[in-house]
Amino acid sequence: MKTILSGVCALALTASLSMGTAVAGTKIGAIFDLTGGLNIYGIQQNNALQLAVEEINANGGVLGEPIEVISYDAQSELSKYTQFANTAILRDKITALFAGLTSSSREAIRPIVRKANIPYFYSSLYEGGACDKVTFVTGSSASQQMSKLIEWGVSTYGPKIYIMAPDYNFGTISAHWVHEYATRNGGEVVGEDFLPLTVSDYAPTLQKIQAAKPDFVVALPVGANQTGFLEQFAAAGLKDRIGIVSTNYGSGNQQVVVSPQAGKGIIASAGYFMEVANDQNAKFVKKWQAKYGTDTPIVSGAVDVWNAVHLWALAVNKANSSETEAVIKALESGLSFDAPNGKVSLDSKSHHLNQNIYIAEGNADHGFDILVTFTDVPAVFEADKCDLVKDPGLAEHFTPES
Amino acid sequence: MDYFATVLISSLSSASILLIATLGLAVVFGLMGVINLAHGEFIMMGAYSALTATQLGIPFILAIPVAVLVTMVFGALVEIIIIRRLYGRLFDTMLATWGLSLALYQGAVLIFGSVSPGIGMPQINFNVGDYTLAAYPIFMILVAAVMLAGIYALLTRTVYGMKARAAIQVPDMARAIGIDSARTNTLTFAIGCGLAGFAGAILLPIVPATPSMGFAFVIKAFLTVVIAGPVTLAGSALAAIGVGTGASVVASFMTSVAGDLFFFILTVVLLRLYPLGVSAKWRIKL
Amino acid sequence: MEHNLTTAEKIHGSIGISAPTIAVIIALGISGMLDPYLAYVASLWVIYGLLGMSLDLVWGRGGVLSLGQTAFYGLGGYFGSVVAINFSELTGNSLIWALPTGAACGALSAAVIGYLIFYARTGPLQTTILTYTFTILLWTLSQSFKITIGEAKIGGDNGMANIPGMILDFGEDATTLEPNAMFATVVVISAVIYFAVRLLMSGPFGRVVDCIRIDGEKTELLGYDIRKYQLQNFMIAGAIAGIAGALFAAWSNYLNPSIFSVQEALMVPIYVLVGGAGTLSGAFIGSVLIGGLSFWLGGGAISGQTTLILGLVLIVLVIFLKNGILGALNSLWLRFLPDRNRAVHSIKPVTIDASVVENILADAEIAAGPPKSLETKNATKAFGGVIPVNDVSLKFEPGLPHSVIGPNGAGKSSFLKVCVGMYPPDSGDVLLGGENVSHSPIFQCVAKGLGVKNQKPQVFGELSIFENLWTSAFSMTRDKNKANQIADQILTMLGMHEQGNVEASALSHGQQQWLDIGMVLCLTPRTILFDEPAAGMTNEETRELSHLVRILAKKTTVLVVEHDMEFVRTLDGMVTVLHQGAFFAKGDIVKLRADDRVLDIYLGRRAHVQSI
Repeated sequence: MKTILSGVCALALTASLSMGTAVAGTKIGAIFDLTGGLNIYGIQQNNALQLAVEEINANGGVLGEPIEVISYDAQSELSKYTQFANTAILRDKITALFAGLTSSSREAIRPIVRKANIPYFYSSLYEGGACDKVTFVTGSSASQQMSKLIEWGVSTYGPKIYIMAPDYNFGTISAHWVHEYATRNGGEVVGEDFLPLTVSDYAPTLQKIQAAKPDFVVALPVGANQTGFLEQFAAAGLKDRIGIVSTNYGSGNQQVVVSPQAGKGIIASAGYFMEVANDQNAKFVKKWQAKYGTDTPIVSGAVDVWNAVHLWALAVNKANSSETEAVIKALESGLSFDAPNGKVSLDSKSHHLNQNIYIAEGNADHGFDILVTFTDVPAVFEADKCDLVKDPGLAEHFTPES
Repeated sequence: MDYFATVLISSLSSASILLIATLGLAVVFGLMGVINLAHGEFIMMGAYSALTATQLGIPFILAIPVAVLVTMVFGALVEIIIIRRLYGRLFDTMLATWGLSLALYQGAVLIFGSVSPGIGMPQINFNVGDYTLAAYPIFMILVAAVMLAGIYALLTRTVYGMKARAAIQVPDMARAIGIDSARTNTLTFAIGCGLAGFAGAILLPIVPATPSMGFAFVIKAFLTVVIAGPVTLAGSALAAIGVGTGASVVASFMTSVAGDLFFFILTVVLLRLYPLGVSAKWRIKL
Repeated sequence: MEHNLTTAEKIHGSIGISAPTIAVIIALGISGMLDPYLAYVASLWVIYGLLGMSLDLVWGRGGVLSLGQTAFYGLGGYFGSVVAINFSELTGNSLIWALPTGAACGALSAAVIGYLIFYARTGPLQTTILTYTFTILLWTLSQSFKITIGEAKIGGDNGMANIPGMILDFGEDATTLEPNAMFATVVVISAVIYFAVRLLMSGPFGRVVDCIRIDGEKTELLGYDIRKYQLQNFMIAGAIAGIAGALFAAWSNYLNPSIFSVQEALMVPIYVLVGGAGTLSGAFIGSVLIGGLSFWLGGGAISGQTTLILGLVLIVLVIFLKNGILGALNSLWLRFLPDRNRAVHSIKPVTIDASVVENILADAEIAAGPPKSLETKNATKAFGGVIPVNDVSLKFEPGLPHSVIGPNGAGKSSFLKVCVGMYPPDSGDVLLGGENVSHSPIFQCVAKGLGVKNQKPQVFGELSIFENLWTSAFSMTRDKNKANQIADQILTMLGMHEQGNVEASALSHGQQQWLDIGMVLCLTPRTILFDEPAAGMTNEETRELSHLVRILAKKTTVLVVEHDMEFVRTLDGMVTVLHQGAFFAKGDIVKLRADDRVLDIYLGRRAHVQSI
């Protein structure tokens, strides 16, 4: 039995090795949530990828050939991410992967892409800290968004802050950053409440907020929780006395869903809003609307994917090869690019994207008015912890407590 | 002191919301002995029906009966096609309704997408000392009370109600005296679903319509019914008010997670003491 | 006992062992030749099959619908992986750490939940809801639960990464198995577990579990502590689910709270239903079929609508394909086999041979001791305003048959239930052989020598006549051979010696009554209670029954609750009359029949008795 097994092992090993040295094509893999509860993000991410590939192919593609996309629908289910990542790598032989929305999907994918040694792009706002040689993040990290938001919030509203966050990593880590930047900017966290994802009863939270008497609230709940909370907050007449800011409001077009009385005056901080005014964005929006229509505003996750694909293509062309080592070296060579959300540049050491951070205010038309633009904001925490040039073997997910 | 008063009022409101969501389930369980695991999805169906109706221009107050109608019709269909074939097969009914719940959830995602416009909450609020409370959730206390009274009247004062209680207690006897228990059961199940639809619609300003809203309610609603036991109305009311208020109070003084945990632990304790529900030995029937 | 089985029947009987064996051999044979990606995916199917088998054990065999198997699966996965991450470097081999930990974790958590459910005698609906909410509770908690144990980092909703794959070798150079070897390993592990469980379930433990599923109350009336069996069965299933979870973690190298999600939990009953509930191997067929379908459809056709389709599939399965594929195949096969119950037509009416019965009773007295008297002292039981047992003090001794009669609503059946332990008395005592058993659970009363024959025949329809008797006999003897002997004796007494293999469900009503009586006798009871035993019996059967009761009464205490006055008369014993829950009169039947007061309460006239 053992000899059979080891024989089988040897056979399989040779097979897998030979797979790795097969001729590299220009196939990329895309795994997003096209259906299921998260598809509001996933569909746009996928659309952005397709649009970017179209544009690049129209301009000659990479290495003189068109890019081929192998696309999978993760159905908002984590198990599908790992399954399709493995399929795309083992069977479809992709050379780069663009996938994931939630942090759990990213953490599930990272070991797989590290083992397969292909570049992986994570394009969504998140709590920050992802660090390894093959992973590149184009979404904004919590430290990027929070650093500017809290600074602005304290100076606009006052020093006392209440945090209302979902009880999982994105919420708890973002809350940590609020504490951090509050201290640095002379603010003070007067209370915090972490809600499980299944909660729909905000009354206790609203009592606690009123008892704490903050100057503004940092509201980070996700999905329907966000909407429900904001509606109740407004209905209780609290919006007049207490400011409300968020780093994820608008990321899923919540402003479309929330009623005007509740949405007006909410402050959001993100790396992109469709209302951003520059040439690149004008061209981008025009292209997007020509292909996908004008029904739904473009979310920041879409632009994050657009940026990722373009940066990858730039790197491949710069390296004149799609081999992983060469591409990573090119990506680490200080690439920058004129994106719809302003000029972005990839930090060589942390693999995160220095980008603009916008502070916008919800208006009565289910849209945003941009108030302030902070240019070229680095991902400070990641730059501090993660130096992949010096230490290429690093493979971590840094959290502020670690 | 003010804080405590607001906590009490809003906890009562939370308990009322739970009761509104649970009553349909309790009626079906109490009268038919069936646990409809798709109950949460009927709440969702009611929410989406009301939402769609308002999007078509119908005022919210009229959208609620629309939601009730839609869910009642669908409920009747489900009873005829599925539930009736599984009469007496407890577990199979649960499984079939569970399959239905997942199919409905995914169906809603496919049809409506995962984010949809909410209905703004009326911007009315009132003060208790230094605190303000949104009025609409507090209004739910009244709604829950009216619902209870209405269902009680339906079951005790109408011919249907009499038939329903008879058909359940001794179905063969009921049939022998001419009561079509099959038809009565369909109506009972439809009413249960209609109550769920009503809940979804009336709670729409508080809980925006999303395909997964069923799951959020389902756990607490099921636990409430299970704690309540066979005395449908009084049992559920007691369970919702007791456990629901308790959990909300805990959440107000500690964290929301603590409130949820309190709910679950109390359920386990109560079931240990009353394996067939708190009202298992009560003498009142309804 | 004759076993005239044809070859075809013999093959059919052993298919549960032969078919899986062949399947395993084929699976291992092709494992080396499979495309690695297919082997990778197929490993998951087998793991799911194992998870499905854990549900089949609890539900298909045990009769409890648990929606919590994925809870034990997830817990086993998480904690098995924590141990594997920390210790596998020591040995090289990872499974030696992951699997036992997974099993222990699954079993332990199942023990806690099982104890809450079975020892509180929670109703079936409540049980299912509790298991369902347990899983959802774990899902919620695991989203925010963060802890670092040694090298293992559980990161809340970010899950736990860097779980070692399956490593079989020991030592420093051990490498993770490649897909084909992994597939073979998973097949071997599952096969070992399957055959072990099969062996267990074909023995006495499995028999009792099946009986609990078929009729829990009857099983308890046979003297088995059903709570213990249910708990043990649940724990074994929990351990299996835990092992499956540990295997899954090793397969995917990553775990996250979604393992506790509703979508994950939905699949398990589907696998079981598709394959066939109760078969233990059905779950594997279900998982391979569904996995294979999804694989060959390339994930494209089903993706997105997977949950929708599977939800609808579940509904269809529940309504139409009750017994799954294996069940359907089995029914088809049975049509070509000779009718298993063909011998039922040759069963002769039961005639009681006094010497046979006396021998049985003599053996019983040697095995279980002298007969025990039954006494109640001021026993009272009330349900709100209704008091069916009102301060009743009676004593029954061996020697003569005792009958309890009374008009409708007199409380006869309730009195019986108080004596048995089905209704614990509100006040007063029940004494069996002088020992106070007022609040003992039913199975303890039975173990102490109380035999009960309820009004309806309570037999295990799916089992054969002999198996019914054997299960009863085993309860007291706890020895397979002794049980065989006793069952054989009773079988002969019933005159069904040639037909022992016939299913109990094929018997007529009267024959089932006899079988039920036979089962009670297999318990070597020292006191026997009969609740309207003559109900539904023909005149001849009633005659034989009366004969039997009179013989039994000489060597045991016999109490008969009856309506049939002729039958009571033939018993020729002491008669007690109950009225409105209380003692009314006592004597022999002739005297009572002439008593005006007794006539009053039966006829409803108020000539001599005021309270009617």
